[in-house]
Amino acid sequence: MVPPPSTRRRPGFVRLFGLWETVLTAPDPQRLNDLGKKLAELQTRQAAGTKRQPPSQSGIAFRFTTELVASLVVGGGLGWGIDWLFGHFGFHTRPVFLIVFFMLGIAAGIRNVMRAAKEINAEIASARSSETEDGKE
Amino acid sequence: MALNPMEQFTIKPLIAEPLFAIAGHPIYFTNQALLMIIVVVASSLFLTLAVKPGRLVPTRGQSMAEISYEFVANMIHTATGEDGLKFFPFVFTLFMFVLCSNFFGMIPGSFTVTSQIAVTLALACLVMLIVIITGFAKHGLRFFMLFVPKAPIYILPLLVVIELISFCSRPISLSVRLFANMLAGHTLLAVFAGFVVSLGAAGGLLAPLSVAPLLLIVGILLLEFLVAFLQAYVFAILTCIYLNEALHLHDHH
Repeated sequence: MVPPPSTRRRPGFVRLFGLWETVLTAPDPQRLNDLGKKLAELQTRQAAGTKRQPPSQSGIAFRFTTELVASLVVGGGLGWGIDWLFGHFGFHTRPVFLIVFFMLGIAAGIRNVMRAAKEINAEIASARSSETEDGKE
Repeated sequence: MALNPMEQFTIKPLIAEPLFAIAGHPIYFTNQALLMIIVVVASSLFLTLAVKPGRLVPTRGQSMAEISYEFVANMIHTATGEDGLKFFPFVFTLFMFVLCSNFFGMIPGSFTVTSQIAVTLALACLVMLIVIITGFAKHGLRFFMLFVPKAPIYILPLLVVIELISFCSRPISLSVRLFANMLAGHTLLAVFAGFVVSLGAAGGLLAPLSVAPLLLIVGILLLEFLVAFLQAYVFAILTCIYLNEALHLHDHH
Protein backbone atom coordinates (compact mmCIF):
# COMPACT_ATOMS: atom_id res chain seq x y z
CA MET A 1 0.00 0.00 0.00
CA VAL A 2 1.25 3.46 -0.84
CA PRO A 3 1.38 5.67 2.26
CA PRO A 4 -0.42 9.04 2.05
CA PRO A 5 1.81 11.91 0.93
CA SER A 6 1.61 13.71 4.28
CA THR A 7 3.29 10.92 6.24
CA ARG A 8 5.66 9.64 3.59
CA ARG A 9 9.16 10.64 4.51
CA ARG A 10 10.96 12.31 1.66
CA PRO A 11 14.70 13.00 1.48
CA GLY A 12 15.73 16.28 3.10
CA PHE A 13 16.49 18.04 -0.15
CA VAL A 14 13.10 17.19 -1.62
CA ARG A 15 11.31 18.19 1.58
CA LEU A 16 13.08 21.54 1.70
CA PHE A 17 12.41 22.33 -1.93
CA GLY A 18 8.96 20.73 -1.99
CA LEU A 19 7.38 23.46 -4.03
CA TRP A 20 4.25 21.45 -4.55
CA GLU A 21 3.52 21.76 -0.84
CA THR A 22 2.49 25.35 -1.47
CA VAL A 23 -0.12 24.16 -3.91
CA LEU A 24 -1.69 21.75 -1.42
CA THR A 25 -4.57 23.37 0.43
CA ALA A 26 -5.91 23.14 3.99
CA PRO A 27 -3.54 20.75 5.76
CA ASP A 28 -5.01 19.13 8.89
CA PRO A 29 -4.15 20.68 12.31
CA GLN A 30 -1.72 17.93 13.21
CA ARG A 31 0.23 18.63 10.05
CA LEU A 32 0.14 22.36 10.71
CA ASN A 33 1.66 21.76 14.14
CA ASP A 34 4.36 19.61 12.62
CA LEU A 35 5.04 22.26 10.03
CA GLY A 36 5.30 24.91 12.73
CA LYS A 37 7.81 22.82 14.61
CA LYS A 38 9.80 22.14 11.48
CA LEU A 39 9.73 25.80 10.57
CA ALA A 40 11.09 26.83 13.97
CA GLU A 41 13.74 24.15 13.66
CA LEU A 42 14.66 25.30 10.17
CA GLN A 43 14.87 28.90 11.26
CA THR A 44 17.22 28.16 14.13
CA ARG A 45 19.26 25.91 11.90
CA GLN A 46 19.44 28.57 9.24
CA ALA A 47 20.45 31.20 11.78
CA ALA A 48 23.11 28.83 13.13
CA GLY A 49 24.37 27.98 9.66
CA THR A 50 24.65 31.48 8.29
CA LYS A 51 25.24 34.00 11.04
CA ARG A 52 27.08 32.23 13.79
CA GLN A 53 29.58 30.31 11.72
CA PRO A 54 32.85 32.19 11.37
CA PRO A 55 34.00 32.48 7.74
CA SER A 56 35.97 29.53 6.40
CA GLN A 57 39.74 29.63 5.99
CA SER A 58 39.63 29.44 2.20
CA GLY A 59 36.95 32.12 2.15
CA ILE A 60 39.18 34.48 4.13
CA ALA A 61 42.17 33.70 1.92
CA PHE A 62 40.16 34.30 -1.23
CA ARG A 63 38.77 37.55 0.13
CA PHE A 64 42.28 38.86 0.89
CA THR A 65 43.62 37.81 -2.51
CA THR A 66 40.90 39.52 -4.49
CA GLU A 67 41.13 42.70 -2.41
CA LEU A 68 44.89 42.88 -2.93
CA VAL A 69 44.89 42.02 -6.63
CA ALA A 70 41.98 44.32 -7.45
CA SER A 71 43.80 47.28 -5.93
CA LEU A 72 46.96 46.41 -7.87
CA VAL A 73 44.99 46.25 -11.11
CA VAL A 74 43.20 49.53 -10.46
CA GLY A 75 46.41 51.28 -9.37
CA GLY A 76 48.37 50.02 -12.37
CA GLY A 77 45.50 50.78 -14.73
CA LEU A 78 45.13 54.30 -13.36
CA GLY A 79 48.87 54.97 -13.77
CA TRP A 80 48.84 53.54 -17.29
CA GLY A 81 45.84 55.71 -18.15
CA ILE A 82 47.49 58.88 -16.84
CA ASP A 83 50.63 58.06 -18.85
CA TRP A 84 48.51 57.51 -21.94
CA LEU A 85 46.72 60.82 -21.37
CA PHE A 86 50.00 62.71 -20.96
CA GLY A 87 51.44 60.96 -24.00
CA HIS A 88 48.43 62.20 -25.90
CA PHE A 89 49.40 65.78 -25.10
CA GLY A 90 53.05 65.27 -25.98
CA PHE A 91 54.53 64.56 -22.52
CA HIS A 92 56.32 61.24 -22.61
CA THR A 93 56.04 60.09 -19.02
CA ARG A 94 55.34 56.47 -19.97
CA PRO A 95 56.68 54.41 -17.09
CA VAL A 96 56.69 57.06 -14.35
CA PHE A 97 53.01 57.22 -13.39
CA LEU A 98 52.57 53.51 -14.01
CA ILE A 99 55.26 52.73 -11.42
CA VAL A 100 54.07 55.35 -8.92
CA PHE A 101 50.42 54.30 -9.11
CA PHE A 102 51.30 50.62 -9.03
CA MET A 103 53.01 51.23 -5.70
CA LEU A 104 50.05 53.26 -4.48
CA GLY A 105 47.91 50.32 -5.60
CA ILE A 106 49.95 48.03 -3.38
CA ALA A 107 49.40 50.40 -0.47
CA ALA A 108 45.66 50.55 -1.19
CA GLY A 109 45.58 46.75 -1.44
CA ILE A 110 47.18 46.38 1.98
CA ARG A 111 44.73 48.94 3.35
CA ASN A 112 41.86 46.90 1.87
CA VAL A 113 43.20 43.67 3.35
CA MET A 114 43.51 45.30 6.78
CA ARG A 115 39.94 46.57 6.50
CA ALA A 116 38.72 43.13 5.43
CA ALA A 117 40.61 41.58 8.35
CA LYS A 118 38.87 43.99 10.72
CA GLU A 119 35.47 43.01 9.30
CA ILE A 120 36.26 39.30 9.53
CA ASN A 121 37.52 39.74 13.11
CA ALA A 122 34.25 41.42 14.03
CA GLU A 123 32.35 38.56 12.39
CA ILE A 124 34.34 35.95 14.31
CA ALA A 125 33.88 37.89 17.55
CA SER A 126 30.11 38.03 17.04
CA ALA A 127 30.13 34.31 16.21
CA ARG A 128 31.95 33.59 19.48
CA SER A 129 29.63 35.74 21.56
CA SER A 130 26.56 34.08 20.05
CA GLU A 131 28.10 30.71 20.91
CA THR A 132 28.46 31.67 24.57
CA GLU A 133 24.88 32.99 24.53
CA ASP A 134 23.78 29.58 23.35
CA GLY A 135 25.69 28.05 26.23
CA LYS A 136 23.75 30.11 28.75
CA GLU A 137 20.38 29.19 27.33
CA MET B 1 35.55 18.40 -27.62
CA ALA B 2 33.16 17.20 -24.96
CA LEU B 3 36.03 16.89 -22.48
CA ASN B 4 37.11 20.50 -22.63
CA PRO B 5 36.38 21.80 -19.10
CA MET B 6 35.96 25.38 -20.34
CA GLU B 7 33.42 24.40 -22.97
CA GLN B 8 30.57 24.90 -20.48
CA PHE B 9 31.27 28.63 -20.29
CA THR B 10 30.99 29.37 -24.00
CA ILE B 11 28.17 31.68 -24.95
CA LYS B 12 26.34 30.46 -28.02
CA PRO B 13 23.40 32.00 -29.83
CA LEU B 14 20.26 29.91 -29.51
CA ILE B 15 18.59 31.60 -32.47
CA ALA B 16 20.80 31.82 -35.53
CA GLU B 17 19.39 35.19 -36.58
CA PRO B 18 20.39 38.22 -34.48
CA LEU B 19 17.43 39.82 -32.71
CA PHE B 20 18.46 43.37 -33.53
CA ALA B 21 21.57 45.46 -33.91
CA ILE B 22 23.00 48.23 -31.76
CA ALA B 23 25.35 50.48 -33.72
CA GLY B 24 26.14 47.69 -36.14
CA HIS B 25 26.75 45.06 -33.45
CA PRO B 26 24.35 42.16 -33.85
CA ILE B 27 22.59 41.17 -30.62
CA TYR B 28 21.83 37.47 -30.37
CA PHE B 29 19.53 35.58 -28.06
CA THR B 30 22.12 33.41 -26.29
CA ASN B 31 22.07 30.63 -23.71
CA GLN B 32 23.15 33.27 -21.20
CA ALA B 33 20.11 35.43 -21.98
CA LEU B 34 17.84 32.38 -21.70
CA LEU B 35 19.24 31.41 -18.28
CA MET B 36 18.94 34.99 -17.02
CA ILE B 37 15.30 35.10 -18.06
CA ILE B 38 14.68 31.71 -16.43
CA VAL B 39 16.35 32.89 -13.20
CA VAL B 40 14.39 36.14 -13.06
CA VAL B 41 11.05 34.53 -13.93
CA ALA B 42 11.53 31.53 -11.63
CA SER B 43 12.64 33.56 -8.62
CA SER B 44 9.92 36.18 -8.95
CA LEU B 45 7.23 33.56 -9.62
CA PHE B 46 8.38 31.53 -6.63
CA LEU B 47 8.49 34.51 -4.27
CA THR B 48 5.12 35.90 -5.34
CA LEU B 49 3.23 32.60 -5.55
CA ALA B 50 4.71 31.26 -2.32
CA VAL B 51 3.50 34.19 -0.21
CA LYS B 52 0.22 34.57 -2.10
CA PRO B 53 -1.85 32.41 0.31
CA GLY B 54 -0.53 34.57 3.18
CA ARG B 55 -1.16 31.92 5.80
CA LEU B 56 -0.54 32.60 9.47
CA VAL B 57 1.13 29.23 9.68
CA PRO B 58 3.09 29.16 6.46
CA THR B 59 3.51 26.28 4.09
CA ARG B 60 7.03 25.20 3.26
CA GLY B 61 7.23 27.37 0.19
CA GLN B 62 5.89 30.39 2.04
CA SER B 63 8.27 29.90 4.92
CA MET B 64 11.17 29.60 2.48
CA ALA B 65 10.21 32.94 0.96
CA GLU B 66 9.73 34.46 4.40
CA ILE B 67 13.05 33.10 5.68
CA SER B 68 14.93 34.58 2.74
CA TYR B 69 13.10 37.88 3.30
CA GLU B 70 13.96 37.97 7.00
CA PHE B 71 17.49 36.80 6.32
CA VAL B 72 18.22 39.73 3.99
CA ALA B 73 16.33 42.18 6.22
CA ASN B 74 18.42 41.13 9.23
CA MET B 75 21.59 41.34 7.17
CA ILE B 76 20.84 44.92 6.12
CA HIS B 77 19.77 45.88 9.63
CA THR B 78 22.95 44.64 11.29
CA ALA B 79 25.24 46.05 8.59
CA THR B 80 23.68 49.46 7.96
CA GLY B 81 21.18 50.08 10.76
CA GLU B 82 17.61 51.33 10.53
CA ASP B 83 17.97 53.77 7.63
CA GLY B 84 19.62 51.18 5.41
CA LEU B 85 16.34 49.27 5.23
CA LYS B 86 15.07 51.47 2.42
CA PHE B 87 17.62 49.68 0.25
CA PHE B 88 15.95 46.38 1.03
CA PRO B 89 14.34 45.95 -2.43
CA PHE B 90 17.67 46.50 -4.14
CA VAL B 91 19.75 44.24 -1.91
CA PHE B 92 17.07 41.54 -1.84
CA THR B 93 16.78 41.52 -5.64
CA LEU B 94 20.54 41.37 -5.98
CA PHE B 95 20.82 38.55 -3.44
CA MET B 96 18.02 36.49 -4.99
CA PHE B 97 19.36 36.98 -8.51
CA VAL B 98 22.89 35.90 -7.61
CA LEU B 99 21.65 33.04 -5.43
CA CYS B 100 19.26 31.71 -8.08
CA SER B 101 21.83 32.12 -10.85
CA ASN B 102 24.33 30.14 -8.81
CA PHE B 103 21.82 27.41 -8.04
CA PHE B 104 20.45 27.21 -11.59
CA GLY B 105 24.05 26.89 -12.73
CA MET B 106 24.35 23.76 -10.58
CA ILE B 107 21.83 21.93 -12.75
CA PRO B 108 23.84 19.66 -15.05
CA GLY B 109 23.86 20.90 -18.62
CA SER B 110 22.68 24.38 -17.76
CA PHE B 111 24.69 27.57 -17.87
CA THR B 112 26.08 29.58 -14.95
CA VAL B 113 25.23 33.23 -15.53
CA THR B 114 27.46 34.40 -12.67
CA SER B 115 30.52 32.69 -14.17
CA GLN B 116 30.65 35.51 -16.73
CA ILE B 117 32.72 38.52 -15.67
CA ALA B 118 30.45 40.74 -17.79
CA VAL B 119 27.46 39.90 -15.60
CA THR B 120 29.20 40.19 -12.23
CA LEU B 121 31.04 43.36 -13.22
CA ALA B 122 27.77 44.92 -14.36
CA LEU B 123 26.16 44.02 -11.03
CA ALA B 124 29.14 45.39 -9.08
CA CYS B 125 29.14 48.62 -11.10
CA LEU B 126 25.42 48.97 -10.38
CA VAL B 127 26.17 48.60 -6.67
CA MET B 128 28.92 51.24 -6.80
CA LEU B 129 26.70 53.58 -8.82
CA ILE B 130 23.97 53.34 -6.19
CA VAL B 131 26.52 53.82 -3.41
CA ILE B 132 27.88 56.96 -5.06
CA ILE B 133 24.42 58.36 -5.82
CA THR B 134 23.29 57.66 -2.24
CA GLY B 135 26.41 59.29 -0.83
CA PHE B 136 25.98 62.46 -2.86
CA ALA B 137 22.24 62.60 -2.27
CA LYS B 138 22.64 62.27 1.48
CA HIS B 139 25.81 64.25 2.15
CA GLY B 140 26.36 66.36 -0.96
CA LEU B 141 30.01 67.26 -1.39
CA ARG B 142 30.73 66.08 2.16
CA PHE B 143 30.70 62.58 0.58
CA PHE B 144 34.29 63.25 -0.47
CA MET B 145 35.22 63.10 3.22
CA LEU B 146 34.99 59.34 2.72
CA PHE B 147 38.38 59.56 1.04
CA VAL B 148 39.95 61.67 3.79
CA PRO B 149 41.00 59.54 6.76
CA LYS B 150 41.98 61.03 10.09
CA ALA B 151 45.70 61.65 9.71
CA PRO B 152 48.32 64.43 9.98
CA ILE B 153 47.96 66.97 7.18
CA TYR B 154 51.37 66.34 5.57
CA ILE B 155 50.55 62.73 4.78
CA LEU B 156 46.98 63.35 3.63
CA PRO B 157 47.62 63.79 -0.14
CA LEU B 158 49.17 60.33 -0.27
CA LEU B 159 46.39 58.78 1.81
CA VAL B 160 43.64 60.37 -0.27
CA VAL B 161 45.07 58.84 -3.43
CA ILE B 162 45.36 55.46 -1.70
CA GLU B 163 41.78 55.67 -0.43
CA LEU B 164 40.62 56.64 -3.91
CA ILE B 165 42.34 53.62 -5.46
CA SER B 166 40.95 51.42 -2.71
CA PHE B 167 37.44 52.72 -3.44
CA CYS B 168 37.84 52.20 -7.18
CA SER B 169 39.06 48.64 -6.62
CA ARG B 170 35.79 47.65 -4.95
CA PRO B 171 33.73 46.89 -8.05
CA ILE B 172 36.61 44.77 -9.36
CA SER B 173 37.16 42.79 -6.17
CA LEU B 174 33.39 42.38 -5.74
CA SER B 175 32.87 41.06 -9.26
CA VAL B 176 36.06 39.01 -9.52
CA ARG B 177 35.33 37.19 -6.27
CA LEU B 178 31.93 35.98 -7.45
CA PHE B 179 33.02 35.24 -11.02
CA ALA B 180 36.23 33.44 -10.06
CA ASN B 181 34.52 31.31 -7.43
CA MET B 182 31.86 30.11 -9.84
CA LEU B 183 34.34 29.64 -12.69
CA ALA B 184 36.82 27.71 -10.54
CA GLY B 185 34.19 25.46 -9.01
CA HIS B 186 32.55 24.51 -12.28
CA THR B 187 35.90 24.00 -14.01
CA LEU B 188 37.03 21.75 -11.17
CA LEU B 189 33.90 19.66 -11.52
CA ALA B 190 34.37 19.33 -15.27
CA VAL B 191 38.07 18.42 -14.91
CA PHE B 192 37.31 15.64 -12.42
CA ALA B 193 34.46 14.43 -14.60
CA GLY B 194 36.98 14.25 -17.43
CA PHE B 195 39.22 12.07 -15.23
CA VAL B 196 36.37 9.62 -14.75
CA VAL B 197 35.85 9.31 -18.49
CA SER B 198 39.50 9.05 -19.44
CA LEU B 199 40.31 6.55 -16.68
CA GLY B 200 37.32 4.46 -17.71
CA ALA B 201 38.32 4.63 -21.35
CA ALA B 202 41.92 3.62 -20.52
CA GLY B 203 40.59 0.19 -19.56
CA GLY B 204 42.57 -2.60 -17.91
CA LEU B 205 43.78 -1.95 -14.39
CA LEU B 206 43.04 1.77 -14.61
CA ALA B 207 39.31 1.40 -15.20
CA PRO B 208 38.33 0.58 -11.57
CA LEU B 209 40.33 3.63 -10.44
CA SER B 210 37.78 5.89 -12.12
CA VAL B 211 35.57 5.47 -9.05
CA ALA B 212 37.94 7.69 -7.03
CA PRO B 213 37.38 10.94 -8.98
CA LEU B 214 33.67 10.08 -9.13
CA LEU B 215 33.49 10.03 -5.32
CA LEU B 216 35.49 13.23 -5.21
CA ILE B 217 32.99 14.91 -7.53
CA VAL B 218 30.19 14.19 -5.05
CA GLY B 219 32.15 15.95 -2.33
CA ILE B 220 33.04 18.91 -4.55
CA LEU B 221 29.44 19.16 -5.67
CA LEU B 222 28.27 19.55 -2.07
CA LEU B 223 30.98 22.14 -1.51
CA GLU B 224 29.82 23.95 -4.63
CA PHE B 225 26.28 24.25 -3.24
CA LEU B 226 27.79 25.83 -0.14
CA VAL B 227 29.90 28.17 -2.27
CA ALA B 228 26.85 29.08 -4.36
CA PHE B 229 25.03 30.28 -1.26
CA LEU B 230 28.09 31.77 0.42
CA GLN B 231 29.07 33.88 -2.57
CA ALA B 232 25.55 35.29 -2.90
CA TYR B 233 25.70 36.09 0.81
CA VAL B 234 29.13 37.72 0.52
CA PHE B 235 27.99 39.78 -2.47
CA ALA B 236 24.95 41.03 -0.55
CA ILE B 237 26.77 41.71 2.73
CA LEU B 238 29.53 43.66 0.98
CA THR B 239 26.86 45.70 -0.80
CA CYS B 240 25.44 46.48 2.64
CA ILE B 241 28.85 47.43 4.01
CA TYR B 242 29.49 49.79 1.10
CA LEU B 243 26.02 51.30 1.44
CA ASN B 244 26.67 51.78 5.15
CA GLU B 245 29.81 53.77 4.41
CA ALA B 246 27.93 55.95 1.94
CA LEU B 247 25.11 56.50 4.44
CA HIS B 248 27.17 57.17 7.56
CA LEU B 249 30.61 58.18 6.21
CA HIS B 250 33.03 57.82 9.13
CA ASP B 251 30.44 57.91 11.93
CA HIS B 252 31.48 54.56 13.27
CA HIS B 253 35.03 55.72 14.00
